[in-house]
Amino acid sequence: MKEPVVEIKKCGLGATLQDTGRMGWRRFGIPLSGAMDAHAAGWANRLVGNQPNAPVLELLLQGTQLVMLQDAWIAITGADAGCNLETWRTVRVTRDQVIRFPRNRSGVWIYVAIDGGFEGPRFLGSASVYPRAGLGSPFANGSLLNRSSHGQFAIQAGVAGRFTPREERRDYDSTEPLRLWRGPQWDLFPEKERQKFFAQRWTISPESDRVGYRLAGTALALDSTQIISEPMRVGSVQIPQGGLPIVIMRDGPPVGGYAKLGILDPDDLSRLTQYRPGLEVEFRPVEP
Amino acid sequence: MKWIPYGPGAIMLHIADRLGEKAFLISQRFIEELERHPPFGLLEIVPSFTRILLEFDERLVPNPMAIVPDLELQLKRAPKVRATRSTVKEISAVYDGPDLERVAELNRLTVAEVCRRHAAVTYRVYMLGFSPGFPYLGLLDRRLHTPRLPSPRTAIAPGSIGIGGEHTGIYTVPSPGGWNIIGHVLEPIFDPGRGSSPDGEEAMFLLKPGDRVKFVPVKEKTR
Repeated sequence: MKEPVVEIKKCGLGATLQDTGRMGWRRFGIPLSGAMDAHAAGWANRLVGNQPNAPVLELLLQGTQLVMLQDAWIAITGADAGCNLETWRTVRVTRDQVIRFPRNRSGVWIYVAIDGGFEGPRFLGSASVYPRAGLGSPFANGSLLNRSSHGQFAIQAGVAGRFTPREERRDYDSTEPLRLWRGPQWDLFPEKERQKFFAQRWTISPESDRVGYRLAGTALALDSTQIISEPMRVGSVQIPQGGLPIVIMRDGPPVGGYAKLGILDPDDLSRLTQYRPGLEVEFRPVEP
Repeated sequence: MKWIPYGPGAIMLHIADRLGEKAFLISQRFIEELERHPPFGLLEIVPSFTRILLEFDERLVPNPMAIVPDLELQLKRAPKVRATRSTVKEISAVYDGPDLERVAELNRLTVAEVCRRHAAVTYRVYMLGFSPGFPYLGLLDRRLHTPRLPSPRTAIAPGSIGIGGEHTGIYTVPSPGGWNIIGHVLEPIFDPGRGSSPDGEEAMFLLKPGDRVKFVPVKEKTR
């Protein structure tokens, strides 16, 4: 049962284990963490018959190389990195098979799930890796991944294959306007500044990571954006001093002292995580 | 009670305009009530100085504003909590930070007076946040209120004691930060290694919301 199932031959630009997040510990200052793109990670688990909260392998952009140490069912979703296996569908892989992600073509985060699910050390109820606090650590070259259980997964005879329907597969290069709900400090922003936010196309800055995505554009003007520190949800659009927005991501702090104009619809937050630096995005307000 | 919508499945309760003991006790009372009788679909409660975030399962409670009347009724009936006389946790502190002189100068105090005043108060942990287990301690002596650094440091060592505006707190993991560093503590405030102790995973956190804390100055010691 504890036999490793996958070797991470090359970890590439980044490889961690993530599940749906570390619920219940934000009052202790612990970020939610979990898979950046919940949509793609959810599909990876679904394709191999796992529970939605089973840990998946999250890869950044490109460069990872995996070697199968056992036969398994596998599903690869998310960013397109020229993988040698078919993605967004359930694939049977055999021992010694090598899986490569040589070159990023679109999207940012890749998800890999196997039937039975991966296993990793759990802290505070979650296997999501949050290295900054020592809650798990990222994979290195040569890391071994265990399987949680031998799944009973099989594709029924007569079914040609299992795959994600076309309309559920997202185009990570076309940026439709992202829906923004009002945030706690919506009223702190003058109407003119709010219009400025929605009227322009923001560029995703290279200084973006699992903590937050920074947006470059024409800064909003505000006298002061400092508030008494208060809870901050993942997906919040925070406007710090300087007026350039930061979208708070999964490893972002659970409280913050800057005004929040709004919060992205969870589904659109998933989309945003896959937009690469340099892409332009715009927002549209959700009427309350 | 003022309720603020905060996206699908969430709502924020505004308790007070100013932080302090009064806001803390009301918040404590509401949280205890919500823990005792959790509303349907509630997933997580995140308290802070003056506000409480309630996150619901979005599929079960897409618009929590709709249940505000029920929530208000429940919270208004919540039994009062008394100011907890929790034991005071003493934390050894070395006052040797790089910003001691800045804090002293801006407040027209001597360095010795800054240290004396900082260690004289019994603080309460009003909330944890910013980073894992980072305690926001109140109330800081008015004479020690100091604006944040004009530009934040890129790396602050865990254990550093900081003053940011009207707050004081202790950094828990390596992180950037803009608070004035006046010293450091000797015991780790957050240590995931303590999570496997018999006290359970909460033992990772030395301090919890509501705890009372006093700094005990000790002589210079190399880290």
